[in-house]
Amino acid sequence: MIWLPILVPVLAAALYAVFGWRRASTWLAPASAAGVLAVAIVLAVAVAQDGPRTAWLLRLDALSSFMLVVIGAVGLLATVATPAYLRAEIAAGRAGTRTAGRHCLLVQLFLATMALAVLAADLGVLWVAIEATTIVTAFLVGQRRTRASVEAAWKYVVICSTGIALALLGVIVLNHAARHATGGPVGLDLVDLSAAAPGLDPGVTRIAVALLIIGLGAKAGLAPLHAWLPDAHSQAPAPVSALMSGVLLSVAAYAILRVKVIADAALGAGFARTVLVVMALASLVLAATLLLGQRDYKRMLAYSSIEHLGLVALASAIGSQFAVAAALLHVLGHGLAKGALFVGAGRILQVTGTSAVAGVRGLASAHPALAGGVGLGVLALVGLPPFSLFASELGIFRAGFGEGLGWVTAAAVVLVVVIAGALFVHSGRMMLGDPPDGPGAARAAVRLPVPTAVAVFGGLAACAVLGVTAGPLGSLIGQAAEVVAGAR
Amino acid sequence: MNVAGGVVQAVVVVGGAPLLVGVMRQVRARLEGRAGPGIGQPWRDLRKLLGKEPITPRGTTELFRLAPLVSLATVLVVAVVAPFVTTVPTVGPAADLFAVVALLALGTVVLALAGLDTGTAFGGMGASREVTILALVEPTLLVAIFALSVRVGSTNLGAIMTATVEDPARVISPVSLLAAVALVVVTVAENGRLPVDNPSTHLELTMVHEAMVLEYAGPDLALVELASAMRLAVFLGLLGNLFLPWGLATGTDPVALAVGVLALVVKVGVLGALLAAAEVFLAKLRLFRVPELLAGSFLLSLLAATAAFFLA
Amino acid sequence: MSESLYTQLLYLAAGAFLLTAVLILWRRELAVIVRILALQGLALAVMVAVLAAREGSVELWAVAGGIAVLRVGVLPHLVRRALTGAEAARRESAPSVNVASSLLAAAGLTLLGFAVSQPLVALAPSPATQAVPVGVTVVLIGFLVLVTRRRALSQLVGFLLLDNGITAVGFLTTAGVGLVVEVGVSLDVLLAVLVLQLLATRMRETFGDTDLDELRELRD
Repeated sequence: MIWLPILVPVLAAALYAVFGWRRASTWLAPASAAGVLAVAIVLAVAVAQDGPRTAWLLRLDALSSFMLVVIGAVGLLATVATPAYLRAEIAAGRAGTRTAGRHCLLVQLFLATMALAVLAADLGVLWVAIEATTIVTAFLVGQRRTRASVEAAWKYVVICSTGIALALLGVIVLNHAARHATGGPVGLDLVDLSAAAPGLDPGVTRIAVALLIIGLGAKAGLAPLHAWLPDAHSQAPAPVSALMSGVLLSVAAYAILRVKVIADAALGAGFARTVLVVMALASLVLAATLLLGQRDYKRMLAYSSIEHLGLVALASAIGSQFAVAAALLHVLGHGLAKGALFVGAGRILQVTGTSAVAGVRGLASAHPALAGGVGLGVLALVGLPPFSLFASELGIFRAGFGEGLGWVTAAAVVLVVVIAGALFVHSGRMMLGDPPDGPGAARAAVRLPVPTAVAVFGGLAACAVLGVTAGPLGSLIGQAAEVVAGAR
Repeated sequence: MNVAGGVVQAVVVVGGAPLLVGVMRQVRARLEGRAGPGIGQPWRDLRKLLGKEPITPRGTTELFRLAPLVSLATVLVVAVVAPFVTTVPTVGPAADLFAVVALLALGTVVLALAGLDTGTAFGGMGASREVTILALVEPTLLVAIFALSVRVGSTNLGAIMTATVEDPARVISPVSLLAAVALVVVTVAENGRLPVDNPSTHLELTMVHEAMVLEYAGPDLALVELASAMRLAVFLGLLGNLFLPWGLATGTDPVALAVGVLALVVKVGVLGALLAAAEVFLAKLRLFRVPELLAGSFLLSLLAATAAFFLA
Repeated sequence: MSESLYTQLLYLAAGAFLLTAVLILWRRELAVIVRILALQGLALAVMVAVLAAREGSVELWAVAGGIAVLRVGVLPHLVRRALTGAEAARRESAPSVNVASSLLAAAGLTLLGFAVSQPLVALAPSPATQAVPVGVTVVLIGFLVLVTRRRALSQLVGFLLLDNGITAVGFLTTAGVGLVVEVGVSLDVLLAVLVLQLLATRMRETFGDTDLDELRELRD
């Protein structure tokens, strides 16, 4: 049963490998993602009742099952929008059916590797899964085969592989410490490790934790190894950007949370907190500076992802149960909102043919539905109620002030406000004004495909509902936060 | 005190150094398909130069006249005190690593000052280049030999070599390996061999050492040439004894000394021939590439030193 | 195998491992660099073989064989394949930091590597863990190559250097991380290099050269 969230997408990938991109296989991808979501919900209920369960190499606890829900939900959102996106690409001559088939195959493998990452019981397997996400997405990023997209793919693979290699060194060093733990040797099993953590050599563990957090931080798009993110997110096909920004970053953040549990038990809360606070603030400052003068709306969304992951890192640094719960809610809310926005942005790119902010004007009058979706998405992203990002950001800031990180949190608030301003200005410029005259006006008649609309508005609606009430998810988030913060 | 050893070393180095240069030129000539002048040619050149009338350029000071003597004297002192034939010290602790390096540097610096003293364009250019190379080489040299001294716990060259003679296996260790590569580069650079400097050119754009001593003539030039030949012999001798210490006498009895002399001649001869053969296949590096080479050798010597501390 | 012979062979292999890393930083010709990279793989395989002989472990011998195949044969071959056909691209022409400075930087990194790995050595002192700083230093040098070289293939080499260093640390701490993880790690690295090689080929098709200097499309 625990293997199901991995097996479902693998099976779908196998089917795509055999049949390729056909009419019949079009809806296989959303079906598989929906399957993952359904299994995730069933598993979450089971975990809530019976507690964690294990299988070969895997362990499912509240935190993993919450992450599975995120993967399923954002995966569903992205895959629902995929067929329309690919059809438009094929119609425009930018892709063939082979490319489309490979796209679907790789996306399914991407989902499978992410599911493996959050289910892994062992730090080593977790590492393998996260590195595997890089490999399967490399060709998705470079799919369009333009100069820019190949460059983005190259940077993506080089920087992420390097970062993740640092994390591997961290795993090896931690393993070294674990073999010589005072309470007898232990393996890399996450639960064993956190149980044995007080007996780990602090000097060695410190090196391991720093390497792991910086290395996984690369994959989570945190400074200093963030440079791949804006390039990859802006060049990847829209549904892939949605998945990468919405879930992949969060999966890496999940890995950091797991490491932090061990680090806190071994070294006390101070060390991991310092590393994370520095990285979080650096990411926020970076996002704010580069967003102010941003000229490309897909890159704008990418930098906003750096901002939000910075907030998640800040919440992890705070580390109280309340902060972690807020971070998890933030992960889900950000995944939905950002996924919807990337799908919308991909649509804008298809209808206008440019990704420059200055190239898009008067969207509200030319494409009201699309503009409405993207506009709402931006409102969600800057954290206005009723969207859940409002609740989670508020939670993170309150926790920060409560846990003695006042100055850091204050700086973060200022930066978030600056970023919100920048986002408003840029997207306002795109929405308002007159639509461009001349040849461009002929394109104005393009209708928003129904599945795309469903993805965009569905994602935003889910985000808004979450902001009002978390419902049954609330208790899952509570339990998941206890997994991280309960050890303290 | 070991007067016999010191005298033997001095005689061997002074007598053998020009022959070494001769051997190297001959090897090179043969590899390039020339007959070559024979290995005695450097000695014949020296004899001819020594027979000439001493001439110094107008406007030069005593420094210019003393420099060849000082340069020769420093190398001679090194030849006497450093362990070439026997590890038994001639004058107590003077075979210290730092003393030897400082003496060799002194010789170079004096010649560079003499080059500046002439006030000519070539002298100044050669001196500035030589001092640049020297500044880059000295740290490497010190760190490399220091790396070798760590395990012995002494910076005395004799002690280092004795330890190696007693336990030849330590030659095959990362420390010796890295230090050996660094010291080879140092030897090449310090003696103005290819690819750092070309000893057989008088092309103004490229020469380093030759530019510095361009104004010397007659007996002074003979001294300069002899000193530079001895310098090469001293470096090759140190290199050979540090990494291939076999045959090095650890006592003072005549048989051991004779074996030591033979071993030294063979080692230095082979190393010199190898160096000459390698030079046939090398082109001179452009001057601004030289720091790269020397930075590399410095890195290697530093690696040797760190390895000596941590892999022991 | 006697204790001193074991130690000596191990350190010799470690020394060769470090030396090849420095040479890679030093040389400019990519063809030569790839050959040195294969030599480094050999040094790594020898290191593991020495450990295997010491422990008398058949499994470790098999791993040493696997490393030899992967790092002496397959990975350099992949890099070389990306290299062929690009006659003009065979030199690292413009590293963003000149070679002399990067060699001096490597000297600093060496000291850093030895300094930071002290806790690792102190935790379980043994001849093998004494050599861990060598692995850490190679990781740092690999990072330096990655950061300062502009050519796509040089970056690939830097990545492999980094990876060799990490593998060395893994074996020198003499604690296996489990078979599944080890196989997964090797497979991941192989695939990553394969992907990078394909991308380099694609880049050459698109730009006619693999010079990342040309890649100025994406920037803020």
